[in-house]
Amino acid sequence: MSNRTNNCIVQSLKRLLPGVILCCSLFALSATVIEDVHAIDLSPSEAFLQGERIYRDGVLPSGEPMQAVIRGDVDVPGTSFSCVSCHLRSGLGSIEGGVVTPPTNGRTLFQPYKVQYKQVKVDQKFYPAILQRPTYTDASLATALREGITPSGQVMNPVMPRYYLDDKEMALLIAYLKTLSDQPAPGVTETEIKFATVITDDVPSAQAEAMLAPLEEYVRHKNSMINLFKKEKRSARMAATMVTSGELMYKKLTLSRWMLKGPPETWRSQLEEYYRQEPVFALLGGISNSDWKPIHDFSEANHLPCLFPQTDYPVISTTDWYTLYHSKGIYQEGEAAARFLNEKIAALQGRNVLQIVRNSRQGQALSTGFQETWRDLGFAAPVTVTLGEKEVLSKEQLQKLLYANLPAAILVWDGAESLAVLESLVTSSERPAITIVSASYLGDKIWSIPEQERDFTFMTYPYRLPQREESFKRFIEPFMKKANSSAATEVISKKSYIATQMLTQGLMDLRGNYYRDNLFDVIGMMRDQELPLYTRLSFGPGQRYASKGCYMVQLDKGAKPALINKSDWVIH
Amino acid sequence: MNTARLTSIFLFLFASVVLVSSPSRAEELKYKRTIENYTMPDVTLVNQNGARVKLRSLITSDKPVVVDFIYGTCTTICPVLSAGFVNLQQKLGPKSSNVQLISISIDPENDTPKVMKEYLQRYRAKAGWDFLTGSRENIDKVMRAFNAYIPNKMSHYPLTLIRNPQDGKWVRIFGLTSSSEFLNEYKKVGGI
Repeated sequence: MSNRTNNCIVQSLKRLLPGVILCCSLFALSATVIEDVHAIDLSPSEAFLQGERIYRDGVLPSGEPMQAVIRGDVDVPGTSFSCVSCHLRSGLGSIEGGVVTPPTNGRTLFQPYKVQYKQVKVDQKFYPAILQRPTYTDASLATALREGITPSGQVMNPVMPRYYLDDKEMALLIAYLKTLSDQPAPGVTETEIKFATVITDDVPSAQAEAMLAPLEEYVRHKNSMINLFKKEKRSARMAATMVTSGELMYKKLTLSRWMLKGPPETWRSQLEEYYRQEPVFALLGGISNSDWKPIHDFSEANHLPCLFPQTDYPVISTTDWYTLYHSKGIYQEGEAAARFLNEKIAALQGRNVLQIVRNSRQGQALSTGFQETWRDLGFAAPVTVTLGEKEVLSKEQLQKLLYANLPAAILVWDGAESLAVLESLVTSSERPAITIVSASYLGDKIWSIPEQERDFTFMTYPYRLPQREESFKRFIEPFMKKANSSAATEVISKKSYIATQMLTQGLMDLRGNYYRDNLFDVIGMMRDQELPLYTRLSFGPGQRYASKGCYMVQLDKGAKPALINKSDWVIH
Repeated sequence: MNTARLTSIFLFLFASVVLVSSPSRAEELKYKRTIENYTMPDVTLVNQNGARVKLRSLITSDKPVVVDFIYGTCTTICPVLSAGFVNLQQKLGPKSSNVQLISISIDPENDTPKVMKEYLQRYRAKAGWDFLTGSRENIDKVMRAFNAYIPNKMSHYPLTLIRNPQDGKWVRIFGLTSSSEFLNEYKKVGGI
């Protein structure tokens, strides 16, 4: 009979004879696990990967999902209830939905666990949610995972799954837990946290400075506080009372500039060299007018967090881990256009959609965002006409396209040249009900759209509307002044401001646990934010695009028109 | 009064607030059950297939309706609530169509039909379990109607609401139930 069958029988009998069987199983498991921890017949790297798979994916070495029971009698697959679900990727646990999940990294498991608040021990009776316990052994940890009982005999929260793991699987998992968040990340010392910001040479210096200035001002201000705390003891005491992570008060931040030159295919080796010379804790901000992919891939390969880089072309992924973007960039506008049209489906009357796409990076990103979302919504691919770099679409060509396709909507993913298409549409007898352009691609030209074109022209607009953004002006103004922000670089400065605000909160929430995975774990647990620029920034485990919204807007009448909102921030 | 004393008092008050408002071990809190009347707002939400659904019509059913509030990337209590839903469907077997299960997203920013469909597939949900999203305004209206409003998804709590089709009243369950407790509650409103 296999070990798995044995475990299942033990689990079933336990429900009938809890007291007797519990004692027997504890004895039996204690004996077997200790032997098997030393008998994993795998190379260390294979054992690590298999243990990691159990922890993260809930998948056993056999490829089968791990099985578990919660709330006493609810059978669940480990793939939905893997360890990482609650204890998170770093293993440092979480507090969510009223459930306290304690840390399970090796460092914490194999020493006594006490409830502390700012290094002061708190009595268990005042904080029953966290079970204080003596140190785990391999055997008592196996008992906890199978039976939900701590070394001090306390019963764990019933939402902690009780896992059916055989001895080898248990040994693999325990061996993995021992390595989990075992060593603090590079780039952090007792006195310092190192960051770097990446700037590529296709960015004009004014834009690079606009990105840098708020970050450098933030670092300068943070470091100046250390001197203040050393001189003014009263301020130090007040700060220590207010902040959740006292050790952070005296840690200096550094920010290096990693300048990338030449073609993107050479960036990786430049980044590796910078990193070899200065292993930083994380990349902060950064800016490029090209695809961020080479830098994204570098972060993934080195498990190096990159927070809020400024790019219109992020990598769109649901599984990559190490880069947190402001949004999906230009792609997100195409996505919003597809959702907006889906909402207006009645107006389409089963007719097709025509896309006119400039063969540029912006045009392609908008088109891809639209097409992928449109496909996911269940629609056939739109008719797409791609314009070469300097190709001009004449009025006659446009008329022919409209006549041939009779589209219900036309999307013009182009820059200033879009205006000529809009003009041609005014008098066209085949004009579709809806025309969509991108405000980001048009830039300042959006204000030049003539009145007769405004009724049928919708624009994707990925930020809070200007009239509502005014209310943020007062509190961000002093900061922008110090950062020498101008109207031309306002968006860049605000994006850097967001990076500083989120970093402040992230560093505090780390509470001295400087593990890179923990940085994303704590950001994933953050509340939604209302900061300048975006209507809402939201986070969640594994979510990597903080802004999920994009308005569809039209221009008001008059010589100084305002933008009129025609959709929700997030369109469903 | 010196600074140290003031600081001590402040720390004591702060610690008191933290400790009093701290979460408790679930096994010590048996779930809380009350009977409530709720008036549904007339809102249209979007389900996992992208279809627009009038919530009032979906809820005003001649079979028991169970509602919870979850989000697709939740790591702690939503999976437990969802395991309860799928467990009920499994226990009812061929009769699982006798109950309408509705999960309402509290993270409408991220929960698109695609995300919700994948979520239901992950739990091997059968027909009769719908996951709904919508505009934040509409989601807020629904949360308020069920006296379950939270300004932020990270402050959520385990709540299950079961509608009795005979009198339209709701059983409000605060806390997490075992599968037998959940089945029992379902039967109490006439579920078979």
